[in-house]
Amino acid sequence: MFENVLRQADVFFTWENALLWLRALGTTLSMAVIGCCLGFILACVLVYFRSSPHRALLPLRLLLILYVEIFRRIPFLVLIFLVLFLTRALGFRLPLYWVACITVTISATAFIAEIVRAGYESVHRTQWDAAEVMNFGRFRTVWLVVMPQAWTVIIPPAFSYFVMFVKETSLASQVGVYELMQTAKYFNNIGISPFLAFGTCLALYFMVSYPLTRFGWRIERRLRERFRREEGAEPLVPALRPLPGL
Amino acid sequence: MDYTFQWGVAFGYLPELLQGAWVTFHLTFIGFWSGLAIAVFLAVGQLYGGRLLRRSISVYVVFFTNTPSLVTAFFIYYGLPEVGILWSPYVCILVNLVLKASAFLTDAIRGGVASVRVSEMEAAETLGFSMLQKIRYVIVPHVAKTLYAPISNLYIVFILGSALAAIFGVEELTGTAFNIAAETFRTIEIYSIAAGIYVLMTVAASALLALVGRWAFRVRARIF
Repeated sequence: MFENVLRQADVFFTWENALLWLRALGTTLSMAVIGCCLGFILACVLVYFRSSPHRALLPLRLLLILYVEIFRRIPFLVLIFLVLFLTRALGFRLPLYWVACITVTISATAFIAEIVRAGYESVHRTQWDAAEVMNFGRFRTVWLVVMPQAWTVIIPPAFSYFVMFVKETSLASQVGVYELMQTAKYFNNIGISPFLAFGTCLALYFMVSYPLTRFGWRIERRLRERFRREEGAEPLVPALRPLPGL
Repeated sequence: MDYTFQWGVAFGYLPELLQGAWVTFHLTFIGFWSGLAIAVFLAVGQLYGGRLLRRSISVYVVFFTNTPSLVTAFFIYYGLPEVGILWSPYVCILVNLVLKASAFLTDAIRGGVASVRVSEMEAAETLGFSMLQKIRYVIVPHVAKTLYAPISNLYIVFILGSALAAIFGVEELTGTAFNIAAETFRTIEIYSIAAGIYVLMTVAASALLALVGRWAFRVRARIF
């Protein structure tokens, strides 16, 4: 095994290959970034309507709850195949990259919506009442009163979800998106030792994911120090934090 | 839209899909709970072990929590035959799940133990508790309560995460769906049914875990 790895090392570690890996890394990261940003925006809109007290919006609210509950419980792999075949059946010939982005968006929306809702709930009821007394409308209440306070609860778990989605997009290789995992498979297929190919892939994922995780911890600590709440208040970050994937 | 849905054909394959769901169930059940058993030892090692042991356990945890499950699975599946170990796909995935589960759970357990307050331990000390009594009456109830939510969440995540076994040819729920879809071309219907079974499975698992939590640890767990 080791002589094999050594023999292939000078074939494998070339500038062209490094460029290939870097491009794959860019694809992996951009899928996660696009998906999570869109997901975040959609989640904010979703929770805004979901927590609306209007009776007329009740069916919409039920639909949104169903959306969140269902899409948090479907594996990414199954979801990406569903999106792929559904878009094809509907006649859109989307590039595979965008299929993966849409899948991340659908999944991220469901997961982040739960966090945003926890953020809403962390803001005390009296704040809503006070806003009502000030004759704020619903949008102004959320935008000017609730969201500025909910940020500290929303950002840290949302960021850890982003890191999770960076890893989750490795499954997009299964539909043929040329990201890190697919590149590793390519190298393995042309005869490079799996230790080299998948080992490089593991190292690259680790090099992205670990600093991001550390950065997330730092954000969390900073926010906690800055917005320390009085003793006995509920914890800043809800204990219930389902992870979207491995 | 030139795709005609044929739900009848797809539902004809329901028995096969349910059989796949059973494989998913025992794959994740064995993988997750044996991962938990290992994680208890690792967490104890990390909390009370020597410097070297602590270091190596945290390297293990950091490595496996920061790499995708799919890549480690590929590494195991293609790497081990190179050194002469030939395992079936099922065993490869199981090993991968155990490694992942033990890493994630070690992190969770350590956090739970760390949440026992010093004052509580001091109170137990003043009451003259022995070490065993301290563990039995102070640490375990406290840790069980704080750990209950992350563990049941992780279990759901592992049920969903086990879908990648399909890529290695294990005939669990997604793998069965792959095969049937390739046979019949009823892709959308088959994958929708598979997704539905996943939703039902995870809801059932959440409900069961919530019941166990209420009964054993008096945790007010929510299912949704």
